Amino acid sequence: MKLDVRSLRTFSRLAHTGAERAAGSLSTMTGIETYVDVTKVELCSREAVARRFQEQDLVSVKIGFDGGLEGTTVLAFPRDGAADLVETLMPGAGAEPGGDLAVSSLKEVGNIMIGGFIDGWADYLETTIDISTPTYVDVDGHEPLTAVDHGTEDQVLVFRNQLDSANDSANFYLYMAPTAGALDTIVSADGGADAVPLETFTSFSGMIAEGAEQASEDITMMTSTPTEVDVSRLSFVPVEGVPMAVEDDRRTGVVLEFEGMPSGYIAILFDEDSAENVAASLLPGAAEDAGAEMQQSAIQEIGNIITSGFLDGWANTLETTIEISPPTFVDDLGPAIIDPLVTDLAQSQEFAFLIDSTIRTEDDEFTCDIYALPNEHELRQALEQLAPA
Amino acid sequence: MKVYTSEEPVRSGGRIKVGIADYAVGTGCALLVTSGLGSCVGVALYDADAGVGGLAHAMLPEYDGSGDEAKYVDSVVPALLREMESAGADRGRITAKLAGGSEMFEFTAERGSIGRRNVEAARRSLAAVGIDVEREDVGGGHGRSLELRVDSGALRVRSADRGETTL
Repeated sequence: MKLDVRSLRTFSRLAHTGAERAAGSLSTMTGIETYVDVTKVELCSREAVARRFQEQDLVSVKIGFDGGLEGTTVLAFPRDGAADLVETLMPGAGAEPGGDLAVSSLKEVGNIMIGGFIDGWADYLETTIDISTPTYVDVDGHEPLTAVDHGTEDQVLVFRNQLDSANDSANFYLYMAPTAGALDTIVSADGGADAVPLETFTSFSGMIAEGAEQASEDITMMTSTPTEVDVSRLSFVPVEGVPMAVEDDRRTGVVLEFEGMPSGYIAILFDEDSAENVAASLLPGAAEDAGAEMQQSAIQEIGNIITSGFLDGWANTLETTIEISPPTFVDDLGPAIIDPLVTDLAQSQEFAFLIDSTIRTEDDEFTCDIYALPNEHELRQALEQLAPA
Repeated sequence: MKVYTSEEPVRSGGRIKVGIADYAVGTGCALLVTSGLGSCVGVALYDADAGVGGLAHAMLPEYDGSGDEAKYVDSVVPALLREMESAGADRGRITAKLAGGSEMFEFTAERGSIGRRNVEAARRSLAAVGIDVEREDVGGGHGRSLELRVDSGALRVRSADRGETTL
């Protein structure tokens, strides 16, 4: 199957509109104002999706769909959020979160929200899509949850909508994973011109994963602290959605610009504790009284190394040279750091390819988030060149 | 198609989140909040007599003729104003406060500073509809988060290491 940027835009809008319908249904049911924060079209490994559910301790309602379009949708809540929601809908039932009442109440929420979500896709494709009976899945249960239970490919395309309530009481996710055949249906409905085979995106995604592994090895070597890649994914997001993908807390790190084919920006960010800890591991012995200046230069140094490790693989695979600017030190609110980078890209593109990777130590001594934002047109050209003729 | 725009009715209380490339209007004791302004600019409008407030978070200075009007300063200002007027505000009484438009990084020079251009576009767009800018906290090299209290018109500006100021 093939994918083109126009189809990705269509996917993103359909998923967003569908998620808005779903949010509207929930608002009507519960009286809690709910809205869609970010809609991402993500290409990631099946295993990464499953791991995210495990780590975030999500309970979910899974519904399959077939007919005009085939795949799976999952509505996933953090455990506490699910209990609160159930309590709002059915006072008393939230006290026993895994109980029959709570489960049936969540299934009902899933049914209504996912029904609304799928309707939008059916309208667009002018077809009928049937949805299955909801199943309740608990990560603690016997059945390991995968949002994607069809096909055999390792890399899957999922639509991930983050929903929030106005009072922050319920933050949850609506996933949709169409089958490869279903994606073909949508791409064809949209014209499908200038499409790049999905395999090209997959190999780019694999390259990002390798870049993250290289960066992780470099950090391990520099800090003498074992690290591993926690997340590595490629997503397609409306430009204004990118800063919302970053937590609204203070972050310390570096921002760099890269020039070449593609050009773009990269931000390497640490939370405050991580920044201190990573600088301390880099400057052993001088940690306590190292001073802000030394911490800053340590962070810049690590940012430089990570960026090289991260981007070298791209340059090799894309058979190009990528020049990296000197790192600019940043210490600010996370979304405000990303905002100027996205704003610059927004002058020439409506959607962005967002690459985000997280590297962490086993004991959470430090966590490092890497965000890369290549220029959309240039990345597409580079991918087209990669695609077999 | 509008993406990331809160198409909610005007609310008279509670916390209303304004996303990026988004705007919202509130009345009564509503609190309009937006976060993570870097080079983006926040435009807060307020009519004390009517008790109507509005907040926009725009990314780029000028509307390019397509796409979402909430993304651009010069198209979101009239849109916000229209929504405030339909909620009972009077253009003659509305005052404005601006925040954001910082210049956090110096990248490839020819692209120019979007932060500064956003602030200039906001002043120009407000002047075009006869609205005075009462206070502003713009420029610099830091990010900001905003909270507009509709019952008082106070605009709280929070930054990572400069603490808070109220405009």
